[in-house]
Amino acid sequence: MQVIRAAAGIGAALMALTLRAAAPDASDLHGTARAGTRAASNAVVWLEAPDAPRSTDRHPVVLDQRNLAFSPHVLVIRVGTTVDFPNSDRVFHNVFSFRDGKVFDLGMYPVGALKHVTFDRPGLSRIFCNIHPGMAAYVMAVDSPYFAVADQSGAFTIAEVPPGTYPYRAWRAGAPQLAGSWSSASTVPLSVAWP
Amino acid sequence: MALTIAQNDMTTTVAALILAWAIQAGAASAQSLTTEAAVTTGVSTAEHISAGAVQLRGFGDLKRGIRFFTEAAWAARSDQESDVFGAAYPYSNRMQVIEAYGERLFRPGNAILAVRAGRYRTPFGISSGSDHAYTGFLRAPLIRYDGNFALSNNFLEHGADLVAGVPRLTVEASIGRPGDVGSAVRRPGLDTVVRIQSFVGPFIAGLSHIQTSPYLPQSFARGHSVFTGVDLRMMRDGVQLRGEWITGRPFDGPKTSGWYADAIVHRIAMGPVSAVARIEGLDYDTVPAFALHARRQTIGARVLLLDALSAQINLIHQTGERAQYGGNALDVGVTYSLRHDFHHD
Repeated sequence: MQVIRAAAGIGAALMALTLRAAAPDASDLHGTARAGTRAASNAVVWLEAPDAPRSTDRHPVVLDQRNLAFSPHVLVIRVGTTVDFPNSDRVFHNVFSFRDGKVFDLGMYPVGALKHVTFDRPGLSRIFCNIHPGMAAYVMAVDSPYFAVADQSGAFTIAEVPPGTYPYRAWRAGAPQLAGSWSSASTVPLSVAWP
Repeated sequence: MALTIAQNDMTTTVAALILAWAIQAGAASAQSLTTEAAVTTGVSTAEHISAGAVQLRGFGDLKRGIRFFTEAAWAARSDQESDVFGAAYPYSNRMQVIEAYGERLFRPGNAILAVRAGRYRTPFGISSGSDHAYTGFLRAPLIRYDGNFALSNNFLEHGADLVAGVPRLTVEASIGRPGDVGSAVRRPGLDTVVRIQSFVGPFIAGLSHIQTSPYLPQSFARGHSVFTGVDLRMMRDGVQLRGEWITGRPFDGPKTSGWYADAIVHRIAMGPVSAVARIEGLDYDTVPAFALHARRQTIGARVLLLDALSAQINLIHQTGERAQYGGNALDVGVTYSLRHDFHHD
Protein backbone atom coordinates (compact mmCIF):
# COMPACT_ATOMS: atom_id res chain seq x y z
CA MET A 1 0.00 0.00 0.00
CA GLN A 2 2.84 2.39 0.85
CA VAL A 3 4.42 1.71 -2.56
CA ILE A 4 1.17 2.58 -4.29
CA ARG A 5 0.86 5.80 -2.28
CA ALA A 6 4.46 6.75 -3.09
CA ALA A 7 3.92 6.06 -6.78
CA ALA A 8 0.74 8.12 -6.74
CA GLY A 9 2.58 10.97 -5.06
CA ILE A 10 5.40 10.91 -7.60
CA GLY A 11 2.85 10.80 -10.42
CA ALA A 12 1.01 13.80 -9.02
CA ALA A 13 4.27 15.72 -8.66
CA LEU A 14 5.29 14.94 -12.24
CA MET A 15 1.85 16.04 -13.48
CA ALA A 16 2.14 19.30 -11.59
CA LEU A 17 5.59 19.92 -13.07
CA THR A 18 4.25 19.16 -16.56
CA LEU A 19 1.34 21.58 -16.15
CA ARG A 20 3.65 24.26 -14.87
CA ALA A 21 5.99 23.70 -17.75
CA ALA A 22 3.07 24.12 -20.18
CA ALA A 23 3.02 27.85 -19.42
CA PRO A 24 6.69 28.73 -19.01
CA ASP A 25 6.14 32.46 -19.51
CA ALA A 26 3.28 32.78 -17.06
CA SER A 27 3.80 35.44 -14.44
CA ASP A 28 1.97 36.87 -11.47
CA LEU A 29 -0.17 39.93 -12.00
CA HIS A 30 0.08 42.41 -9.14
CA GLY A 31 -2.30 45.27 -8.60
CA THR A 32 -4.19 47.47 -6.20
CA ALA A 33 -7.88 48.21 -5.71
CA ARG A 34 -9.04 51.51 -4.32
CA ALA A 35 -12.35 53.19 -3.63
CA GLY A 36 -11.76 56.91 -3.67
CA THR A 37 -8.76 57.45 -1.43
CA ARG A 38 -9.24 54.23 0.56
CA ALA A 39 -8.09 50.70 -0.03
CA ALA A 40 -10.87 48.53 -1.45
CA SER A 41 -10.32 45.42 0.64
CA ASN A 42 -12.30 42.37 -0.46
CA ALA A 43 -12.60 43.70 -4.01
CA VAL A 44 -12.62 40.91 -6.59
CA VAL A 45 -10.57 41.26 -9.80
CA TRP A 46 -10.53 38.72 -12.60
CA LEU A 47 -9.31 38.39 -16.16
CA GLU A 48 -11.77 37.06 -18.70
CA ALA A 49 -10.43 33.78 -20.05
CA PRO A 50 -13.28 31.32 -20.58
CA ASP A 51 -11.12 29.03 -22.73
CA ALA A 52 -8.35 28.70 -20.16
CA PRO A 53 -7.59 25.11 -19.18
CA ARG A 54 -9.28 23.61 -16.14
CA SER A 55 -7.18 23.40 -13.03
CA THR A 56 -6.23 20.00 -11.71
CA ASP A 57 -6.14 21.39 -8.19
CA ARG A 58 -8.49 19.32 -6.07
CA HIS A 59 -8.06 21.21 -2.79
CA PRO A 60 -11.47 21.81 -1.22
CA VAL A 61 -12.77 25.35 -1.41
CA VAL A 62 -14.25 26.20 1.97
CA LEU A 63 -16.63 28.91 3.16
CA ASP A 64 -16.55 28.28 6.89
CA GLN A 65 -19.15 29.29 9.49
CA ARG A 66 -17.16 30.18 12.54
CA ASN A 67 -17.71 32.63 15.37
CA LEU A 68 -21.10 33.63 13.94
CA ALA A 69 -19.54 34.73 10.66
CA PHE A 70 -18.85 33.37 7.22
CA SER A 71 -15.15 33.10 6.54
CA PRO A 72 -13.95 34.38 4.15
CA HIS A 73 -16.40 37.24 3.75
CA VAL A 74 -15.75 37.30 0.00
CA LEU A 75 -14.93 34.17 -1.98
CA VAL A 76 -14.12 34.05 -5.68
CA ILE A 77 -14.18 30.75 -7.54
CA ARG A 78 -14.20 29.44 -11.06
CA VAL A 79 -17.57 28.35 -12.44
CA GLY A 80 -18.13 24.67 -11.72
CA THR A 81 -16.34 24.73 -8.38
CA THR A 82 -17.92 22.94 -5.44
CA VAL A 83 -17.71 24.90 -2.20
CA ASP A 84 -17.81 23.23 1.22
CA PHE A 85 -19.94 24.92 3.90
CA PRO A 86 -18.91 23.38 7.26
CA ASN A 87 -20.49 24.51 10.51
CA SER A 88 -17.66 25.12 12.96
CA ASP A 89 -19.85 26.74 15.64
CA ARG A 90 -21.75 25.00 18.41
CA VAL A 91 -24.92 26.86 17.47
CA PHE A 92 -26.94 25.83 14.43
CA HIS A 93 -26.45 27.62 11.17
CA ASN A 94 -28.40 27.81 7.96
CA VAL A 95 -26.89 28.78 4.62
CA PHE A 96 -29.03 30.18 1.87
CA SER A 97 -28.83 32.31 -1.25
CA PHE A 98 -32.16 33.59 -2.50
CA ARG A 99 -31.45 36.76 -4.39
CA ASP A 100 -29.36 36.07 -7.47
CA GLY A 101 -26.53 33.92 -8.71
CA LYS A 102 -26.85 30.38 -7.37
CA VAL A 103 -30.17 29.94 -5.55
CA PHE A 104 -30.09 27.37 -2.73
CA ASP A 105 -31.02 26.68 0.87
CA LEU A 106 -28.94 24.16 2.80
CA GLY A 107 -31.33 23.98 5.74
CA MET A 108 -30.16 23.99 9.34
CA TYR A 109 -27.26 21.86 10.52
CA PRO A 110 -25.16 21.43 13.65
CA VAL A 111 -21.50 21.67 14.53
CA GLY A 112 -19.27 19.34 12.56
CA ALA A 113 -21.75 18.86 9.74
CA LEU A 114 -20.70 19.72 6.20
CA LYS A 115 -22.78 20.62 3.16
CA HIS A 116 -21.74 21.47 -0.38
CA VAL A 117 -22.88 23.65 -3.26
CA THR A 118 -21.61 23.60 -6.85
CA PHE A 119 -21.69 27.04 -8.43
CA ASP A 120 -22.45 26.08 -12.01
CA ARG A 121 -22.97 29.47 -13.61
CA PRO A 122 -21.16 32.80 -13.42
CA GLY A 123 -22.42 35.55 -11.18
CA LEU A 124 -22.61 36.85 -7.66
CA SER A 125 -24.34 34.88 -4.92
CA ARG A 126 -25.20 36.61 -1.65
CA ILE A 127 -25.00 34.15 1.20
CA PHE A 128 -26.93 34.54 4.46
CA CYS A 129 -27.85 32.58 7.59
CA ASN A 130 -31.53 32.65 8.49
CA ILE A 131 -30.77 32.13 12.18
CA HIS A 132 -28.11 34.85 12.50
CA PRO A 133 -29.12 37.91 10.47
CA GLY A 134 -25.67 39.47 10.98
CA MET A 135 -24.00 36.74 8.94
CA ALA A 136 -23.41 37.53 5.28
CA ALA A 137 -20.91 36.61 2.59
CA TYR A 138 -20.44 36.90 -1.15
CA VAL A 139 -19.45 34.17 -3.59
CA MET A 140 -18.39 35.42 -7.01
CA ALA A 141 -18.25 32.67 -9.64
CA VAL A 142 -16.22 33.68 -12.69
CA ASP A 143 -15.55 31.85 -15.91
CA SER A 144 -11.79 32.15 -15.58
CA PRO A 145 -8.96 30.67 -13.54
CA TYR A 146 -7.29 34.09 -13.20
CA PHE A 147 -8.78 35.92 -10.24
CA ALA A 148 -7.92 37.39 -6.85
CA VAL A 149 -9.44 39.10 -3.82
CA ALA A 150 -7.82 42.32 -2.57
CA ASP A 151 -6.34 42.20 0.92
CA GLN A 152 -6.74 44.79 3.70
CA SER A 153 -4.35 47.17 1.91
CA GLY A 154 -6.18 46.76 -1.39
CA ALA A 155 -3.32 44.75 -2.92
CA PHE A 156 -4.05 41.67 -4.99
CA THR A 157 -2.07 39.10 -6.96
CA ILE A 158 -3.43 36.96 -9.78
CA ALA A 159 -1.10 33.98 -10.03
CA GLU A 160 0.50 32.54 -13.16
CA VAL A 161 -1.18 34.51 -15.91
CA PRO A 162 -0.01 33.46 -19.40
CA PRO A 163 1.21 36.28 -21.65
CA GLY A 164 -1.47 38.13 -23.56
CA THR A 165 -4.04 40.85 -23.46
CA TYR A 166 -7.14 40.24 -21.35
CA PRO A 167 -10.31 42.09 -20.59
CA TYR A 168 -10.57 42.44 -16.82
CA ARG A 169 -13.47 43.02 -14.47
CA ALA A 170 -13.59 44.20 -10.89
CA TRP A 171 -16.36 44.01 -8.32
CA ARG A 172 -16.82 45.14 -4.75
CA ALA A 173 -19.87 45.14 -2.54
CA GLY A 174 -22.22 48.04 -3.09
CA ALA A 175 -20.44 49.45 -6.13
CA PRO A 176 -20.84 49.09 -9.90
CA GLN A 177 -18.73 46.51 -11.66
CA LEU A 178 -15.69 47.92 -13.43
CA ALA A 179 -14.24 46.68 -16.72
CA GLY A 180 -11.04 47.35 -18.61
CA SER A 181 -8.17 45.75 -20.41
CA TRP A 182 -4.80 44.55 -19.21
CA SER A 183 -1.75 43.38 -21.14
CA SER A 184 1.13 41.33 -19.86
CA ALA A 185 3.39 43.70 -21.80
CA SER A 186 2.55 46.40 -19.27
CA THR A 187 5.23 46.97 -16.66
CA VAL A 188 3.07 48.86 -14.18
CA PRO A 189 0.79 47.19 -11.64
CA LEU A 190 -2.88 47.01 -12.54
CA SER A 191 -4.73 49.76 -10.72
CA VAL A 192 -8.45 49.32 -10.21
CA ALA A 193 -10.25 52.34 -8.83
CA TRP A 194 -13.82 53.18 -7.97
CA PRO A 195 -14.60 56.89 -7.68
CA MET B 1 -33.01 34.95 50.62
CA ALA B 2 -30.47 37.63 51.53
CA LEU B 3 -27.74 35.03 51.28
CA THR B 4 -28.99 34.03 47.84
CA ILE B 5 -28.95 37.64 46.63
CA ALA B 6 -25.47 38.19 48.01
CA GLN B 7 -24.19 35.05 46.33
CA ASN B 8 -25.84 36.03 43.09
CA ASP B 9 -24.23 39.48 43.21
CA MET B 10 -20.88 37.84 43.89
CA THR B 11 -21.20 35.45 40.98
CA THR B 12 -22.29 38.29 38.74
CA THR B 13 -19.25 40.27 39.83
CA VAL B 14 -16.99 37.30 39.11
CA ALA B 15 -18.62 36.89 35.74
CA ALA B 16 -18.14 40.61 35.05
CA LEU B 17 -14.46 40.25 35.83
CA ILE B 18 -14.26 37.27 33.48
CA LEU B 19 -16.00 39.36 30.83
CA ALA B 20 -13.58 42.26 31.29
CA TRP B 21 -10.62 39.89 31.20
CA ALA B 22 -11.90 38.13 28.11
CA ILE B 23 -12.44 41.38 26.21
CA GLN B 24 -9.02 42.65 27.27
CA ALA B 25 -7.36 39.37 26.40
CA GLY B 26 -9.31 39.18 23.20
CA ALA B 27 -8.26 42.62 22.08
CA ALA B 28 -4.65 42.00 23.04
CA SER B 29 -4.01 38.51 21.82
CA ALA B 30 -6.96 37.23 19.85
CA GLN B 31 -6.50 35.97 16.35
CA SER B 32 -9.95 37.29 15.71
CA LEU B 33 -12.35 39.43 17.69
CA THR B 34 -15.89 40.38 16.77
CA THR B 35 -17.85 42.95 18.70
CA GLU B 36 -21.59 43.42 18.45
CA ALA B 37 -24.01 45.88 19.94
CA ALA B 38 -27.79 45.71 19.69
CA VAL B 39 -30.16 48.40 20.91
CA THR B 40 -33.86 47.64 21.12
CA THR B 41 -36.85 49.71 22.04
CA GLY B 42 -40.40 48.51 22.09
CA VAL B 43 -43.97 49.11 23.13
CA SER B 44 -46.88 46.81 23.84
CA THR B 45 -50.58 47.46 24.10
CA ALA B 46 -50.54 45.06 27.07
CA GLU B 47 -51.05 47.60 29.85
CA HIS B 48 -49.15 50.18 27.73
CA ILE B 49 -45.76 48.67 28.50
CA SER B 50 -42.62 50.21 27.06
CA ALA B 51 -39.12 48.78 27.20
CA GLY B 52 -35.54 49.42 26.20
CA ALA B 53 -32.59 47.05 26.01
CA VAL B 54 -28.92 46.98 25.07
CA GLN B 55 -26.73 43.94 24.49
CA LEU B 56 -22.98 43.98 24.01
CA ARG B 57 -21.01 40.99 22.78
CA GLY B 58 -17.39 40.17 22.19
CA PHE B 59 -16.29 36.84 20.80
CA GLY B 60 -13.60 35.26 18.69
CA ASP B 61 -10.52 33.08 18.65
CA LEU B 62 -7.75 33.15 21.17
CA LYS B 63 -4.54 31.26 20.56
CA ARG B 64 -4.14 27.48 20.68
CA GLY B 65 -7.63 26.85 19.31
CA ILE B 66 -9.51 28.38 22.24
CA ARG B 67 -12.55 30.48 21.50
CA PHE B 68 -14.32 32.87 23.80
CA PHE B 69 -17.80 34.39 23.98
CA THR B 70 -18.86 37.21 26.25
CA GLU B 71 -22.15 39.03 26.46
CA ALA B 72 -23.55 41.69 28.76
CA ALA B 73 -27.05 43.10 28.73
CA TRP B 74 -29.05 45.94 30.21
CA ALA B 75 -32.79 46.18 29.90
CA ALA B 76 -35.63 48.01 31.58
CA ARG B 77 -39.38 47.64 31.24
CA SER B 78 -42.20 49.75 32.60
CA ASP B 79 -43.92 46.68 34.08
CA GLN B 80 -41.87 43.96 35.78
CA GLU B 81 -44.77 41.49 35.85
CA SER B 82 -45.14 41.18 32.10
CA ASP B 83 -43.15 38.81 29.91
CA VAL B 84 -43.21 41.10 26.88
CA PHE B 85 -39.78 41.56 25.21
CA GLY B 86 -38.37 38.88 27.53
CA ALA B 87 -37.55 36.37 24.81
CA ALA B 88 -33.95 35.84 25.89
CA TYR B 89 -32.83 38.62 28.25
CA PRO B 90 -33.80 39.81 31.73
CA TYR B 91 -35.36 43.23 32.42
CA SER B 92 -33.75 44.13 35.70
CA ASN B 93 -32.68 47.71 34.94
CA ARG B 94 -28.98 46.99 35.51
CA MET B 95 -26.10 45.84 33.37
CA GLN B 96 -25.54 42.11 33.81
CA VAL B 97 -23.19 39.58 32.36
CA ILE B 98 -25.20 37.01 30.47
CA GLU B 99 -22.53 34.67 29.14
CA ALA B 100 -18.75 34.57 29.55
CA TYR B 101 -17.06 31.35 28.58
CA GLY B 102 -14.16 29.78 26.77
CA GLU B 103 -14.46 26.69 24.64
CA ARG B 104 -12.41 24.41 22.50
CA LEU B 105 -13.54 22.12 19.70
CA PHE B 106 -11.58 19.00 18.78
CA ARG B 107 -12.23 17.07 15.56
CA PRO B 108 -10.60 13.63 15.74
CA GLY B 109 -11.61 12.27 12.34
CA ASN B 110 -15.35 12.75 11.89
CA ALA B 111 -15.90 12.87 15.64
CA ILE B 112 -16.70 15.97 17.71
CA LEU B 113 -15.36 16.72 21.14
CA ALA B 114 -16.17 20.17 22.50
CA VAL B 115 -15.38 21.51 25.94
CA ARG B 116 -16.84 24.71 27.37
CA ALA B 117 -16.20 26.31 30.75
CA GLY B 118 -17.43 29.51 32.37
CA ARG B 119 -20.88 31.07 32.47
CA TYR B 120 -23.29 29.89 29.80
CA ARG B 121 -26.98 29.36 29.11
CA THR B 122 -28.39 26.15 30.54
CA PRO B 123 -28.05 23.71 27.61
CA PHE B 124 -31.54 22.21 27.88
CA GLY B 125 -33.46 21.87 24.62
CA ILE B 126 -33.65 24.84 22.27
CA SER B 127 -31.59 27.11 24.46
CA SER B 128 -29.09 29.37 22.74
CA GLY B 129 -29.57 33.12 22.71
CA SER B 130 -29.96 33.17 18.93
CA ASP B 131 -32.70 30.54 19.16
CA HIS B 132 -34.94 32.99 21.00
CA ALA B 133 -33.70 36.57 20.55
CA TYR B 134 -34.41 38.44 17.32
CA THR B 135 -36.06 35.46 15.69
CA GLY B 136 -39.28 37.39 15.27
CA PHE B 137 -40.82 36.48 18.63
CA LEU B 138 -40.84 39.16 21.34
CA ARG B 139 -41.74 36.84 24.22
CA ALA B 140 -40.23 33.59 25.42
CA PRO B 141 -42.39 30.48 25.23
CA LEU B 142 -44.52 30.20 28.39
CA ILE B 143 -42.69 27.04 29.42
CA ARG B 144 -39.41 28.97 29.20
CA TYR B 145 -40.22 32.22 31.02
CA ASP B 146 -39.34 33.27 34.58
CA GLY B 147 -41.84 32.38 37.22
CA ASN B 148 -43.95 29.86 35.34
CA PHE B 149 -42.87 26.94 37.55
CA ALA B 150 -40.71 25.43 34.82
CA LEU B 151 -37.49 26.48 33.10
CA SER B 152 -36.35 29.96 32.10
CA ASN B 153 -34.40 31.33 29.16
CA ASN B 154 -32.58 33.37 31.82
CA PHE B 155 -31.17 30.27 33.52
CA LEU B 156 -27.38 30.28 33.39
CA GLU B 157 -24.76 27.81 34.55
CA HIS B 158 -21.41 28.42 36.17
CA GLY B 159 -19.70 25.22 35.21
CA ALA B 160 -18.32 23.01 32.50
CA ASP B 161 -19.99 21.45 29.50
CA LEU B 162 -18.84 18.60 27.27
CA VAL B 163 -20.19 17.54 23.86
CA ALA B 164 -19.03 14.25 22.32
CA GLY B 165 -20.12 12.24 19.31
CA VAL B 166 -20.38 12.64 15.56
CA PRO B 167 -22.38 15.34 13.75
CA ARG B 168 -25.36 12.97 13.37
CA LEU B 169 -25.44 12.01 17.06
CA THR B 170 -24.01 13.91 20.00
CA VAL B 171 -24.25 13.60 23.75
CA GLU B 172 -23.88 16.72 25.90
CA ALA B 173 -23.34 16.88 29.64
CA SER B 174 -23.13 19.99 31.80
CA ILE B 175 -22.32 20.24 35.47
CA GLY B 176 -22.34 23.48 37.38
CA ARG B 177 -24.03 25.86 39.78
CA PRO B 178 -26.92 28.22 38.98
CA GLY B 179 -25.91 31.70 37.87
CA ASP B 180 -29.33 32.92 36.81
CA VAL B 181 -30.45 36.41 35.89
CA GLY B 182 -34.01 37.70 35.85
CA SER B 183 -36.74 37.26 38.41
CA ALA B 184 -36.49 33.46 38.76
CA VAL B 185 -33.13 32.79 40.39
CA ARG B 186 -32.48 29.22 41.45
CA ARG B 187 -31.12 28.47 44.87
CA PRO B 188 -27.46 27.43 45.13
CA GLY B 189 -26.79 23.78 44.43
CA LEU B 190 -25.49 21.34 41.90
CA ASP B 191 -26.98 21.41 38.39
CA THR B 192 -26.69 18.56 35.95
CA VAL B 193 -27.96 18.62 32.40
CA VAL B 194 -27.73 15.79 29.89
CA ARG B 195 -28.76 16.16 26.27
CA ILE B 196 -28.78 13.76 23.32
CA GLN B 197 -29.13 15.23 19.86
CA SER B 198 -29.59 13.60 16.46
CA PHE B 199 -29.39 15.21 13.03
CA VAL B 200 -30.96 13.40 10.06
CA GLY B 201 -31.73 15.11 6.76
CA PRO B 202 -33.54 18.37 7.50
CA PHE B 203 -34.47 17.22 11.02
CA ILE B 204 -32.70 17.87 14.33
CA ALA B 205 -34.15 16.12 17.36
CA GLY B 206 -33.07 16.34 20.99
CA LEU B 207 -33.83 14.78 24.35
CA SER B 208 -32.81 16.77 27.45
CA HIS B 209 -32.92 16.14 31.18
CA ILE B 210 -32.07 18.52 34.01
CA GLN B 211 -31.83 18.14 37.77
CA THR B 212 -31.34 21.40 39.58
CA SER B 213 -32.44 23.54 42.53
CA PRO B 214 -35.87 25.21 42.61
CA TYR B 215 -36.00 28.97 42.13
CA LEU B 216 -38.53 29.31 44.94
CA PRO B 217 -37.60 29.59 48.65
CA GLN B 218 -36.76 26.46 50.60
CA SER B 219 -39.67 27.05 52.94
CA PHE B 220 -42.10 26.68 50.04
CA ALA B 221 -40.29 24.47 47.54
CA ARG B 222 -38.60 21.35 48.85
CA GLY B 223 -36.62 18.79 46.93
CA HIS B 224 -35.17 19.19 43.49
CA SER B 225 -36.44 20.66 40.26
CA VAL B 226 -36.39 17.94 37.60
CA PHE B 227 -37.46 18.32 33.97
CA THR B 228 -37.27 16.26 30.80
CA GLY B 229 -37.83 17.68 27.34
CA VAL B 230 -38.06 16.68 23.71
CA ASP B 231 -37.28 19.17 20.96
CA LEU B 232 -37.55 18.94 17.20
CA ARG B 233 -36.43 21.32 14.48
CA MET B 234 -36.73 21.21 10.71
CA MET B 235 -35.72 23.66 8.05
CA ARG B 236 -36.20 23.48 4.31
CA ASP B 237 -36.70 26.03 1.53
CA GLY B 238 -36.84 28.95 3.92
CA VAL B 239 -39.33 27.38 6.32
CA GLN B 240 -38.13 26.65 9.84
CA LEU B 241 -40.40 24.57 12.08
CA ARG B 242 -39.51 23.81 15.67
CA GLY B 243 -41.06 22.83 18.92
CA GLU B 244 -40.46 21.58 22.44
CA TRP B 245 -42.42 19.54 24.93
CA ILE B 246 -41.18 19.81 28.50
CA THR B 247 -42.51 18.07 31.58
CA GLY B 248 -41.36 17.60 35.14
CA ARG B 249 -41.64 18.99 38.63
CA PRO B 250 -40.52 22.43 39.74
CA PHE B 251 -40.12 21.04 43.29
CA ASP B 252 -41.52 18.14 45.27
CA GLY B 253 -45.28 17.84 44.77
CA PRO B 254 -46.61 19.79 41.79
CA LYS B 255 -46.08 19.00 38.12
CA THR B 256 -45.51 21.37 35.20
CA SER B 257 -45.88 20.51 31.53
CA GLY B 258 -45.68 22.78 28.56
CA TRP B 259 -45.09 22.83 24.85
CA TYR B 260 -44.78 25.14 21.92
CA ALA B 261 -44.61 24.77 18.17
CA ASP B 262 -43.55 27.62 15.95
CA ALA B 263 -42.77 28.47 12.37
CA ILE B 264 -40.39 31.05 10.97
CA VAL B 265 -40.86 31.53 7.24
CA HIS B 266 -38.59 33.47 4.92
CA ARG B 267 -39.21 32.59 1.27
CA ILE B 268 -37.61 34.31 -1.69
CA ALA B 269 -40.75 36.25 -2.60
CA MET B 270 -40.98 37.72 0.91
CA GLY B 271 -38.01 40.05 0.49
CA PRO B 272 -37.03 41.59 3.84
CA VAL B 273 -39.99 40.03 5.71
CA SER B 274 -39.94 36.86 7.79
CA ALA B 275 -43.31 35.64 9.01
CA VAL B 276 -43.61 33.92 12.39
CA ALA B 277 -46.35 31.97 14.14
CA ARG B 278 -46.46 30.06 17.42
CA ILE B 279 -48.96 28.04 19.41
CA GLU B 280 -48.22 26.95 22.95
CA GLY B 281 -49.56 25.72 26.23
CA LEU B 282 -48.56 25.61 29.89
CA ASP B 283 -50.06 23.53 32.70
CA TYR B 284 -48.92 23.82 36.31
CA ASP B 285 -50.81 21.18 38.24
CA THR B 286 -51.05 21.62 42.00
CA VAL B 287 -53.83 22.30 44.45
CA PRO B 288 -56.67 23.98 42.53
CA ALA B 289 -56.23 27.39 44.16
CA PHE B 290 -52.70 27.72 42.79
CA ALA B 291 -52.92 25.76 39.53
CA LEU B 292 -51.98 27.56 36.36
CA HIS B 293 -53.18 26.80 32.85
CA ALA B 294 -52.48 29.05 29.89
CA ARG B 295 -52.75 28.84 26.12
CA ARG B 296 -51.27 31.36 23.73
CA GLN B 297 -51.16 31.99 19.99
CA THR B 298 -48.79 34.40 18.31
CA ILE B 299 -48.49 35.63 14.75
CA GLY B 300 -46.05 38.23 13.62
CA ALA B 301 -43.16 39.29 11.46
CA ARG B 302 -39.57 40.37 11.50
CA VAL B 303 -38.82 43.04 8.91
CA LEU B 304 -35.38 44.17 7.86
CA LEU B 305 -35.89 47.91 7.40
CA LEU B 306 -32.27 48.82 6.64
CA ASP B 307 -29.02 46.87 6.85
CA ALA B 308 -28.73 47.38 10.61
CA LEU B 309 -32.32 48.24 11.52
CA SER B 310 -35.05 45.67 11.95
CA ALA B 311 -38.55 45.60 13.38
CA GLN B 312 -40.46 42.80 15.06
CA ILE B 313 -44.24 42.81 15.35
CA ASN B 314 -46.28 40.24 17.30
CA LEU B 315 -50.02 39.88 17.72
CA ILE B 316 -50.78 37.77 20.80
CA HIS B 317 -53.89 36.03 22.00
CA GLN B 318 -53.71 34.34 25.39
CA THR B 319 -56.23 32.56 27.55
CA GLY B 320 -55.88 31.22 31.06
CA GLU B 321 -54.55 32.47 34.37
CA ARG B 322 -51.61 34.45 32.98
CA ALA B 323 -53.63 36.59 30.57
CA GLN B 324 -53.27 39.75 32.70
CA TYR B 325 -53.71 42.06 29.76
CA GLY B 326 -57.17 41.06 28.69
CA GLY B 327 -56.04 38.30 26.42
CA ASN B 328 -54.88 40.26 23.40
CA ALA B 329 -51.75 42.32 22.85
CA LEU B 330 -49.79 43.93 20.07
CA ASP B 331 -46.04 44.02 20.70
CA VAL B 332 -43.70 46.07 18.51
CA GLY B 333 -39.93 46.26 18.84
CA VAL B 334 -37.25 47.97 16.78
CA THR B 335 -33.60 46.90 16.94
CA TYR B 336 -30.47 48.62 15.69
CA SER B 337 -27.44 46.34 15.47
CA LEU B 338 -23.77 47.08 14.92
CA ARG B 339 -20.99 44.61 14.30
CA HIS B 340 -17.25 44.98 13.82
CA ASP B 341 -14.66 42.31 13.05
CA PHE B 342 -11.02 42.57 14.03
CA HIS B 343 -8.53 40.09 12.63
CA HIS B 344 -4.92 39.53 13.57
CA ASP B 345 -2.44 37.28 11.75
